Amino acid sequence: MSTTLAIGRPQLNSALASVVPLAIFLALLGYFGLRAPGFLEPATLILILKQAIPTAVLGLGLAIVVIAGGDDVVAGGIDLSVPSIAVLSAAIIADQLASHGSSAATAVALGFAAAIAAGAANALLVTRVGMTPLLATLATSTAYIGLSKVVTANRRIDLADPLIVTLRDGTVLGLPLGVVVATGLVAIAHIAVHRSRWGLRLQAVGGNRDAAEIAGLKVHRFLAQSFLIAGAFGGAASLFVLARGSGSTPGVAETLLMEMVLATFLGAAFSPRRVVTVWGAVLGAILVSALSIGFGSVGVDVFWTGCIKGGLILIVVAASALAKRNRT
Amino acid sequence: MTAPVPPPTPVSPIAGAADFLVLEAISKGFPGVQALDGAGLGVRAGEIHGVVGENGAGKSTLIKVLAGIYRPDAGRILLDGAEIDAGSPDAVQAAGIRFIHQELNLVPHFTVAETIFLGQELSGPFGLRTGAMRRAAEAFLKDTLDTDIAGHRLIADLGIAERKLVQIARALIDGKARVVVFDEPTAPLSHTEIEHLFRAIDALARRGIAMIYVSHYLSEITRICHRVSVLRNGRNVGLVDPVGHDDADRLISLMVGRDIGDLYPKRNHAATTPWLTLTALSQPPHYADVDLEIRRGEIVGLAGLVGSGREELVDTITGLGRPTSGRIVVDGRPLRSGSTAAAADHGLAHVPRDRRNDGLVLAMNVADNINLASLEAVSTGGFVRRSAATTRAEQSAEALDIRPKTVTTAARLLSGGNQQKVVLARGLATGASLFVLDEPTIGVDVGAKAEIYALIEHLAAEGAAVLVSSSDPTELLGLCDRILVLVRGRIVAEVTPATTDLDRLVALTTGGEPAGGLAA
Amino acid sequence: MSAFIASLPTLGRQGLARHGFLAVVAVCFVGFAVANPSFVGGANLVNILSGAVIPLIVGLGMTLVVALGAIDLSVGIALDFGSAFAIVVLKDYGAAWYLAVLIGIAGGALIGLANAVLIVRLRISPFLATLGTFFIGGSLQRIFTHGGGPISYRRLPPEYYDIAVGEVFGIPIRILIAATLLIAYFLLLERSTFGKKIHAIGLQSRAARVAGLPVGRLVAIGFVLAGATAAVGGLVASANLRMFTPLAGNAYLMDAIAAVFIGASMHRDGRPNVLGTLTGVLFLSMVANGLNLMGLDFNLKDALSGLILVAALALSIIQHRRRT
Repeated sequence: MSTTLAIGRPQLNSALASVVPLAIFLALLGYFGLRAPGFLEPATLILILKQAIPTAVLGLGLAIVVIAGGDDVVAGGIDLSVPSIAVLSAAIIADQLASHGSSAATAVALGFAAAIAAGAANALLVTRVGMTPLLATLATSTAYIGLSKVVTANRRIDLADPLIVTLRDGTVLGLPLGVVVATGLVAIAHIAVHRSRWGLRLQAVGGNRDAAEIAGLKVHRFLAQSFLIAGAFGGAASLFVLARGSGSTPGVAETLLMEMVLATFLGAAFSPRRVVTVWGAVLGAILVSALSIGFGSVGVDVFWTGCIKGGLILIVVAASALAKRNRT
Repeated sequence: MTAPVPPPTPVSPIAGAADFLVLEAISKGFPGVQALDGAGLGVRAGEIHGVVGENGAGKSTLIKVLAGIYRPDAGRILLDGAEIDAGSPDAVQAAGIRFIHQELNLVPHFTVAETIFLGQELSGPFGLRTGAMRRAAEAFLKDTLDTDIAGHRLIADLGIAERKLVQIARALIDGKARVVVFDEPTAPLSHTEIEHLFRAIDALARRGIAMIYVSHYLSEITRICHRVSVLRNGRNVGLVDPVGHDDADRLISLMVGRDIGDLYPKRNHAATTPWLTLTALSQPPHYADVDLEIRRGEIVGLAGLVGSGREELVDTITGLGRPTSGRIVVDGRPLRSGSTAAAADHGLAHVPRDRRNDGLVLAMNVADNINLASLEAVSTGGFVRRSAATTRAEQSAEALDIRPKTVTTAARLLSGGNQQKVVLARGLATGASLFVLDEPTIGVDVGAKAEIYALIEHLAAEGAAVLVSSSDPTELLGLCDRILVLVRGRIVAEVTPATTDLDRLVALTTGGEPAGGLAA
Repeated sequence: MSAFIASLPTLGRQGLARHGFLAVVAVCFVGFAVANPSFVGGANLVNILSGAVIPLIVGLGMTLVVALGAIDLSVGIALDFGSAFAIVVLKDYGAAWYLAVLIGIAGGALIGLANAVLIVRLRISPFLATLGTFFIGGSLQRIFTHGGGPISYRRLPPEYYDIAVGEVFGIPIRILIAATLLIAYFLLLERSTFGKKIHAIGLQSRAARVAGLPVGRLVAIGFVLAGATAAVGGLVASANLRMFTPLAGNAYLMDAIAAVFIGASMHRDGRPNVLGTLTGVLFLSMVANGLNLMGLDFNLKDALSGLILVAALALSIIQHRRRT
């Protein structure tokens, strides 16, 4: 039993609380549509999807860790290092392409190897050493960012490699290539987590660890796998981060972290069972992206967006926390 | 301790058959304790075999040896004549021995079908076969456990009894179970839910499955079991064969090893001034229009099934919950609702039903727990006077006979009965004038029960107002001056032990249904 | 310490696990001393202490919050607010130094209060609540400074400047401030009734509530105190640099958390404690100082300190598990 703070009973009506997040989002989107007529056009919608990709892919990684570890953010599963892993992998790929003349395949392979190794380090710290995931991944994220600074000397690296350019600008049947690839990743993750035997067991491990052990599941193996997979998604996200930024930029990890956490927990607030899901994380990422672009299109100062997103995290999780506690 | 209705045929077709499962002369020692000292057990196919004993008698160690969690120092386990590798959970599982643990351990957001098939999912080329698992789960629940639960429902939406049945189905779904061990299966269940569970257990017995039934509730043991083994200090002290509904007293004396005399103390208190008054207290849908008055020096009981609103009413009085309307007044002063701190300021001490999670800070030591609610009395200028704190805790441990005597022992290491005494000591230390005791003897063995009853009597004799909420009607009748009966959120009757017997109280709590069977 | 160094060669893998954290301390200490002998000089040891001042102040507040069973990701923001409020009232309103100190502390307390409202009133988990405060507080700083430029004020009142550079009887005032807070927190958490209640809540908040403790109020006080304490760190930082640097406080977040957990894993029962946090902070300060003296590239230093942090945390936790 974890020692989460139990202070008192909620007073807000649960039905109201469960509708609040969605209502806020629909109202905001409607407002953008009215204020900025171009907002609901296909070009903008495609842009929203494209901008959502890195967050969505990171969110997939986080969602799998949360599903395997349980949604108590302190005692349960959380991986705050996925964005740092993406930044590290992106730094390695960019450095290889720009400074070492490596082929795209070599560069990507090295970046991915680093991402998997980083995921393995997290897995080791959590399952072998026994650190809480929050502490472990908070600590490793500083180390991964530190390493990425060593790789790039903390400078921006511009890339014009065909791989990155294709991922950024290419299309398949009129849809951006990035969106198609990301959709494939989402489908794989969804099937693995929500439609397969392995996924059901993963959910059981996170839902009630004792129940999983009684069912004969090797809990630590699932936890370790979840961190490895999160590392892999961090590696995958690095390509999209490079494509979105046309190269590697220092200091993007913090923004990515906020958007990843926001998207994933937003998704839980929308899910019927009020748990973190693969689809929820993706939907959350798209909504966050829509908001960023929406606020831009109605002329809100870019400095305010952090404020607004932080406020949204709070409103959504407060509403969801109240709804969840009212149910039980 | 007698069942209201004679039990259905405990003498059964299994009489005289050979034992199917045999635990032979099992010994198991831990540093400082010999938990099992040549204990044994023989269970026949189709038999429900009760295992009773006080806390520390070795019941749970014996079960853990059977489960393969502990490897015994000596002795062997035979199933159908063949020896099982003791100390290997996998071998035990493969041999078809299944455990229904006290804790439900289910995933709240899983469906019934997902829960039952976890670990042995039906899977095809297109992933999980959700529909097939749902149908198979429903058919299994119907055929084997004689129960109807839709496979797509979420665990979170099921009642406790349904969850228990799903837990049982989970253990048996592979069809290989030959022995099933039940550990306190009825603890959270209401009267009618227990009936439902017993039907399922009977259905299993008719299929020839050997069952071990561990419980503190002797009335259940005498009702459902064919034979009962009694353990004390790690040894067998008796085998009652066959067991009948009037064997409870015999079981108690075997368990305790002496005649404990009367479990309930002599009444020695007298009601004086009105102290706690509830006026039209309501919290729909849980309870409504509750009026209640408790005087100083009076023990008032609250009876009601799980789901009758009893738990919510107690939570409201103690400040854990909040009423939607109505008033709570203590000693003429209205109590601000929804605050345990405000309740404590009014002199209320709460002994909660969930001792492990709510009763004590388990990681803290006994002294800190006793002083926790009244630190100001052992401090100067906000700083704890450590010797004063220890002395006071020691005095209170001495007075209540809390064991071990060293107050620096971590609270989690104490037995259930001693933990309960620490909770009471904490309330006493605050000088509380109003005690609200919720299931005060749940999970406590017979010897400690008697001590806790004596303490409660002592509280009233010293002039405290006492409210006892319990699912055990015998306890209420033995202890209280008056008993209020809550049915579907309303107080339907107020009775006194002098004019009410067990049958009538059980009938009242079940809302006038004829009393069939026992009360947990 | 020297006896420990002498026993180093006998420390095998087993020894590393058993002595975990101390082994890392010893290895780092010897490594730094070999790399640059001036590391062990008296002047440098004072440097290590000075470098530990702000992390210790922030870490003390974090110890309180973690003892409550929570976490505060916004201590850096509270530090920034302390520094910003003080510098702004000094520069724009010409406030007296003591008033600036009080207002700076109030600025940090404001962040703590925001957390308290989110956690106690709206029942958001401390992690997500303080993460929200972290983002909003960071964003507010960017808005206020039009993108994150520092606000510098060269003509600080000398008394305010002395917070960072002054001395009393040859002891730097900043070290005195840290020592005072250290003693205060020790008494508060390890000796007072408040501390007992805090630990009870952190260990088992439901049980603390049933016992009649005002859990919500105590949690709120804890977060406000943590914010106010971090703001004192902000005063020291702003006095030292004679400016408010937006978002500078976040640099202390990870060190504060790491110090608290290193300290907790050294405690018998594994609970956060003031002296453990002090040990953790001194270790991290020693590492930062030693890496500086090695003359490493700035980025490499960052990466190395990150890796040492992970190793120290991991080993101290392994060590705690071995012992229990």
